[in-house]
Amino acid sequence: MKDTTIESPRMSLEVERVAAEHETKSKKQNNIATIVVWSLAMLELSTVGVVIVVILWRGLGTALSPAFIFGEPQAMKAGGGIWPMIVSSFYLAALTIIVVLPVGVGAAIYMSEFAKEGLITRAVRFAADSLSTVPSIVYGIFGMMLFVVYFGFGYSLIAGALTLTFLNLPTVMRTSEEALRAVPDSYREASMGLGASRWQTVKAVILPCAVPGITTGAILTIGRIVGESAAIIYTVGIYVKKIPTSPLSPAAPMSAHIWHMYTEGALVPDWLRVASGEAAFLLLVVMALNILARIVSWLYKRKTRTSERFA
Amino acid sequence: MGRQGVIGREWIVKKTLFVLAIMGILGIVLIIVAVTKESMPALTKVGPFNLFSTEWNPKVGKYGIVVFIVGTLLTTVGGVMVAVPLAIGTALFLTEIAPRRMATLVSRGVELLAGMPSIVIGWMGFTILVPLLAKLTRTTGSGILAASIILGIMSMPIITSIARDALETVPSSYKQASIGLGATRWQTIWHVILPAAKPGLLVAVILGIGRAIGETVAVALVIGPASAFPKSLTTPTHTLTTKILMEMGESSGIQRSVLFAMALVLLLLSMALILTVRLVTRKKAYVR
Amino acid sequence: MRRKTKVRIAGAGLVMLMMTAIALGGCGGGVSGTLTLSGSTTLQPIAQEAAEQFMEKNPDANVTVQGGGSSVGITQVIEGSVNIGNSSRELKDEEQGKGLVDHKVALDVIVLIANPGVGVSTLTPDQVKGIFTGSIDNWNKVGGGDETITVVIRDSASGTREMFDEKALGQTKDKPVTMAKGAIEANSNGVMRQKVASTKGAVGYISYGYLDKSVEALDYDGVPGNLETALGGTYPLSRYLHMFTNGEATGIAKAYIDFVLSPDFQNETVAKEYIPMTKVKSQ
Repeated sequence: MKDTTIESPRMSLEVERVAAEHETKSKKQNNIATIVVWSLAMLELSTVGVVIVVILWRGLGTALSPAFIFGEPQAMKAGGGIWPMIVSSFYLAALTIIVVLPVGVGAAIYMSEFAKEGLITRAVRFAADSLSTVPSIVYGIFGMMLFVVYFGFGYSLIAGALTLTFLNLPTVMRTSEEALRAVPDSYREASMGLGASRWQTVKAVILPCAVPGITTGAILTIGRIVGESAAIIYTVGIYVKKIPTSPLSPAAPMSAHIWHMYTEGALVPDWLRVASGEAAFLLLVVMALNILARIVSWLYKRKTRTSERFA
Repeated sequence: MGRQGVIGREWIVKKTLFVLAIMGILGIVLIIVAVTKESMPALTKVGPFNLFSTEWNPKVGKYGIVVFIVGTLLTTVGGVMVAVPLAIGTALFLTEIAPRRMATLVSRGVELLAGMPSIVIGWMGFTILVPLLAKLTRTTGSGILAASIILGIMSMPIITSIARDALETVPSSYKQASIGLGATRWQTIWHVILPAAKPGLLVAVILGIGRAIGETVAVALVIGPASAFPKSLTTPTHTLTTKILMEMGESSGIQRSVLFAMALVLLLLSMALILTVRLVTRKKAYVR
Repeated sequence: MRRKTKVRIAGAGLVMLMMTAIALGGCGGGVSGTLTLSGSTTLQPIAQEAAEQFMEKNPDANVTVQGGGSSVGITQVIEGSVNIGNSSRELKDEEQGKGLVDHKVALDVIVLIANPGVGVSTLTPDQVKGIFTGSIDNWNKVGGGDETITVVIRDSASGTREMFDEKALGQTKDKPVTMAKGAIEANSNGVMRQKVASTKGAVGYISYGYLDKSVEALDYDGVPGNLETALGGTYPLSRYLHMFTNGEATGIAKAYIDFVLSPDFQNETVAKEYIPMTKVKSQ
């Protein structure tokens, strides 16, 4: 008890002053830090804005003219359009999704509903992670070697679609598995309690519940396919004049055609206009897909909320 | 349908799904085997001393790829230096500071950026960034600096979203304890949240590095290019990906094989990154 | 119930996509058959143009033109996976003796270009050698203003580069030349023009067809590079564009190449960017 008496009133005042000083200092520090974090976030947000504004400012005028959208590309003179490129992008996305969706969703069903955690699941996930880190140009030259030359598909939609299947498999698998795992276990228990087998449960209960989640993943995958360039320049092609007519036709998706306009396609005097317009159009497509995915997942959330209320 | 039929079908379905599940494994093995096979002539006939030298002149049989490896490393480091402060800052903003509406806006923006085609970002770099840098520095404007900025923009979304997940997994009891002890928000972030989220943040940065190493077309539009070491941040150079992109179509024989060997280097680098992530997290789940 | 409908709609969508794919797959070859070309992206626009016109004249023919680059075209025609390989370069040593037959379809003139404002309009062969190998590094050494020279060359796999190194820089198999240190590498005519146009003090070379006001064409040894001088033999920097077939061209391949070499197509389409073979032969 004697110790406390040693402390003089002045001493305690001093402690308080230091403490108060310390507190103002930390408050000040806190304020500065808050401002810094705010500005970092705003800077990142404005990057998105800058990219959009620059691309649209350069190309929106061209991108929105029907003569450009529906026109035939020109290799020797000005005034070319990009209709075959738009169709190429669409076909490539459709063909890839047809292949990658069943494989990816099937794999995801196995991983979430059938597999026991162990060596196999670990290997599958490691493989998926590795696939999603492999640079897309490596996919491109791998696809060129395997599908274009070895299998003899030539530069074609199908060669590109198969290449992009490998590239997008991890994403489709992961998003589908997340969607499947988000389905509450009580659903599985209820269904199997009624005597349904595991596959019947998956087919009748789990998969339907996961469809919106899988769809969102698929839409985002379409966005990635439409935006991909390094993997398709050496598998699909960079220039066509007419709309591709079969999976074995060469094609020129927009992203690859922009690369063409930057390189050999610059023979036409208005190459900068064509490429900028195409970049703007591509950006609009990707943004539209992004919004579509958002809408689907919003509908999904609203629905689960309702179903939870009635459960 | 009898009980037997159901069980039989169940077995078939399970095996089919199993085959689909291991497609990914087959895929990565196929890629490694194919790329290795194509690069064998380079590895055996050109040899490591020639490959890991600095002179690229196929006409006289010089296939040094060090310039491109250095280009890849420099642009990647530059890109990550641009991206990490912004991305971690944004992740902190989203998890700790932002008002709800603002958080929604920012995370939509980040998602949009993540889906932005690389040719579009590259086109912005080519039409605006490079001319701007050229004016400011009175050089060609293309090179490491321009590539770093572009790679920074491109690796920002993935770092942000994984860092955000990492920060969100820090138990809120940590935060409450710290605030309860009278710490300010920033003190809590700096002394409690960031240290607790460290492994996750490291994973975010590593995956950002992976994104930057592999980016091709966007870099190709702003890198120069030139098969020489850069004299400054704004002199043209090359990276592994851009060299492959630009010469694959017209090269044949040994030169083509060397390009595949460069792809093999990229493949090994990206596998190494994933292994590192596995070691850091010891997680069995997907890392991204 | 609603879920089920959604699944059905998704399923129906997939089936429709597949049917579209199958319907698209049913492309028919007529009596004249199908023909596939691949290779040089330089040649692709002309080959494509020829294909359109050829198919208009022969409705039953189906000609597909792929890109990919000269080496891909040559590899594929050797392997037999395409009928014609387009190339903007000569055959390499390892590609010789595999039975390829060369059809020269156009002569491409390569013109020296510089960034406007270097104050030079002609270069001698020695000056060109000096500049591109790096011994001359400032425009004031060749009669221009005080401006550092930035050399722009084509990438090491380019056919244009091969021609330029041999004819302008005197490269032979035994005597390789070394390029100026830090030379920018363009992988196409378009990039070459853009780099030279946007870089102060830059010098490079492009196909005549790509020449425009953004760059300044330089005379080589006092001779301007254009179709006339190249034909007249006074301007040496030119190279052929090739279509290779595996063995003598027969059937539809022969018909197509004959069409490409026909005076109509040569004079009306090829002549826009290159020297038509009709003129080369009549020389």
